[in-house]
Amino acid sequence: MLGRGVKRKWSCLEELEAEARPAAAEKERDGKEGQGDEDGFLVGPSKSAMNHLQQRQLVLGLCMEKLQSYQAGMELSLRRSVLLINTLRQIQEDMQSDETGTSETLLNHTDSCLLREDMQVTCPGCTEEDGDSLSPPLSPEFPSQEANSSPDQQKSLPAAAINTFSEAVNAMGYLSDLALDDIFEDIDTSMYETSELPSAWSAGSLWPISVSLWTDEDVKMRPPSLPSAGSLQSRLMDLNELDHIMEILVQS
Amino acid sequence: MGGGENMGQLAQPCRRQKMQQDHLDVDPLFIRFLRTFKEVLKFVLFSYTVLFEPAADPGQLRSRARYRDTLSESLTMAGAGGGNSDVQWCFSQVKGAIDDDVAEADIISTVEFNHSGELLATGDKGGRVVIFQQEPESKNQPQCRGEYNVYSTFQSHEPEFDYLKSLEIEEKINKIRWLPQKNAAQFLLSTNDKTIKLWKISERDKRPEGYNLKEEDGRYRDLNTVTTLRVPVFRPMDLMVEASPRRVFSNAHTYHINSISVNSDCETYLSADDLRINLWNLEINDRSFNIVDIKPTNMEELTEVITAAEFHPNQCNTFVYSSSKGTIRLCDMRASALCDQHAKQFEEPEDPNNRSFFSEIISSISDVKFSHSGRYMMTRDYLSVKIWDLNMESRPVETYQVHEYLRSKLCSLYENDCIFDKFECCWNGNDSVVMTGSYNNFFRMFDRGYRQDVTLEASRENSKPRSVLKPRKVSTGGKRKKDEISVDSLDFNKKILHTAWHPLDNIIAVATTNNLYIFQEKLN
Repeated sequence: MLGRGVKRKWSCLEELEAEARPAAAEKERDGKEGQGDEDGFLVGPSKSAMNHLQQRQLVLGLCMEKLQSYQAGMELSLRRSVLLINTLRQIQEDMQSDETGTSETLLNHTDSCLLREDMQVTCPGCTEEDGDSLSPPLSPEFPSQEANSSPDQQKSLPAAAINTFSEAVNAMGYLSDLALDDIFEDIDTSMYETSELPSAWSAGSLWPISVSLWTDEDVKMRPPSLPSAGSLQSRLMDLNELDHIMEILVQS
Repeated sequence: MGGGENMGQLAQPCRRQKMQQDHLDVDPLFIRFLRTFKEVLKFVLFSYTVLFEPAADPGQLRSRARYRDTLSESLTMAGAGGGNSDVQWCFSQVKGAIDDDVAEADIISTVEFNHSGELLATGDKGGRVVIFQQEPESKNQPQCRGEYNVYSTFQSHEPEFDYLKSLEIEEKINKIRWLPQKNAAQFLLSTNDKTIKLWKISERDKRPEGYNLKEEDGRYRDLNTVTTLRVPVFRPMDLMVEASPRRVFSNAHTYHINSISVNSDCETYLSADDLRINLWNLEINDRSFNIVDIKPTNMEELTEVITAAEFHPNQCNTFVYSSSKGTIRLCDMRASALCDQHAKQFEEPEDPNNRSFFSEIISSISDVKFSHSGRYMMTRDYLSVKIWDLNMESRPVETYQVHEYLRSKLCSLYENDCIFDKFECCWNGNDSVVMTGSYNNFFRMFDRGYRQDVTLEASRENSKPRSVLKPRKVSTGGKRKKDEISVDSLDFNKKILHTAWHPLDNIIAVATTNNLYIFQEKLN
């Protein structure tokens, strides 16, 4: 039906969707592709939860892919962006409710790092090397596939995207139009103004993704406000500390 | 019958003798009464079955009767049905290239009949508008409605470049709307993502001849050769159709225009983009009024965009706009200059059983159309068509599933972007049937009165003149019957997004990717 070259992927997917339905006949098709040997581990309800997680992971990956593929040249459809971002938000809420609901790490540690707004620039768990080390701590009920699939998923996402998840999401969606709309009105540079640093440099260092998206107009890269100023502020703080240290060194 | 038997009695007295022996001691007058009564009762029961098609349960019967009553009010024109078993559709014409290799510029992006149905306009991705005109019915074939032939072709929009954003503005025609005809010329509005243009289409079948200062080919005459003066006269010429842009309405939209709608006052029209709706006067192209603005001050809070908007067909102060979250807002321009506060909000509560990651995307409304009467409006979301009574905001009065079999395939459709396709929908002339498109070049019609629906296909295989279209069926279960097509065999690249119904007759125009099909009701 769709994309013959990726037939295997779709049959995985359709088995996912088929398994979600409580049809006994369809369960016979399980365990063939991608489900592997954990049939023995799982009982009914957790199997559908597994599929929910798998689907969520898949949709998350697709969403990020779609958002990132729209870069220079083509003017993206606002409706499409809004729908994609709302889907991402829904997945985010789903993940967060999962995280708060279950004490055991049903959720991959790297995913929760993605979502926390106060995350640090380099979250120790976010780097790819640590992803594999997470599989042992997971309880044996939930098979290694969860951990295996997630690091695989992580590897497919560029590291920069992980770090600036929500920022990138919002940046890609709306700001290209926003900046032009309020081009001379809403520039709030209070967050960026540091006495020593040139504003262009500070802006440039804070937006690893934005640099590739737009041409180098400062105005475009300065939205009036940011939702998650966490990493931004931490970087600013780093810079301020650096300046402070420099001052001390110079004075001494 | 009593009479017949009596006659028979006179002709063949012996027969009556035999029958009388069967009925002992009963008054013959009473017998005759009983027989007459039996015949009368038979007649009544027969009429009942013919007229009322008794349903299995009385509830269905009542609802059918109610629909019949409401329909009969509006059944003034020809073209009563469409989706019921009485009406059959047959192929009439197909326009466009035959080969499968589709040129990007030829992709049809909008289809619209004018108010009389005589003209049919299409817009394509290359910015061109093609207008077809219906031939007058010929005396040879009075039953066959006229064919549509090319009347005028012109380039409406050209690609532009936005230097500020370093982006191209597509010349694709998003919508065409006809103005009601006021004089000999026809007017239509066509729009791309940023600019709306008012076009005048006029016929010229006479030209002046006999100028004193110019030759017929336009060269100026040598004044020495002019000895007498004459009055120029009009002489007939071959019909020429000219399209000229009368107004250009630009620089009013930051985002992409998705709808235009002419007001019933014929003086104003609205244009809607993703976040704003503007009101224009047809005569004034350098000013427009902003009547709806849903842009949040902080763009990161944006969660909803406008997807379609339309003026009420009769009330010039009322319009509706639909959103990507599945809500429709009805606004009254008399209430305030900026209609951010809606007068009514139509929204159906979500079915918790069907909740998934794609619930919001498939609830996004892609088209909204008022009925001709103005009492109902129809919305199209990804999987269904809903009909709303303007007096009831809580839920639609009717819901029709277009391709419910796709619900289990939403993840795949999300991956290949088909889930973002925007299907349009349309009403027939008397609001009894609605039509919308689907995949695999299928389109669906729903008869509201008879509660029937049909799936038809627009394809070159069924394109013999006046060949009747066979209803198609998609098999959903495991067992596939003959002539059915399975969901996995559907071609998702062949989508019918744009359809139009003649305002007075049962003639429909269905656009596949680059072809325009015209189907007519089968007439005997």
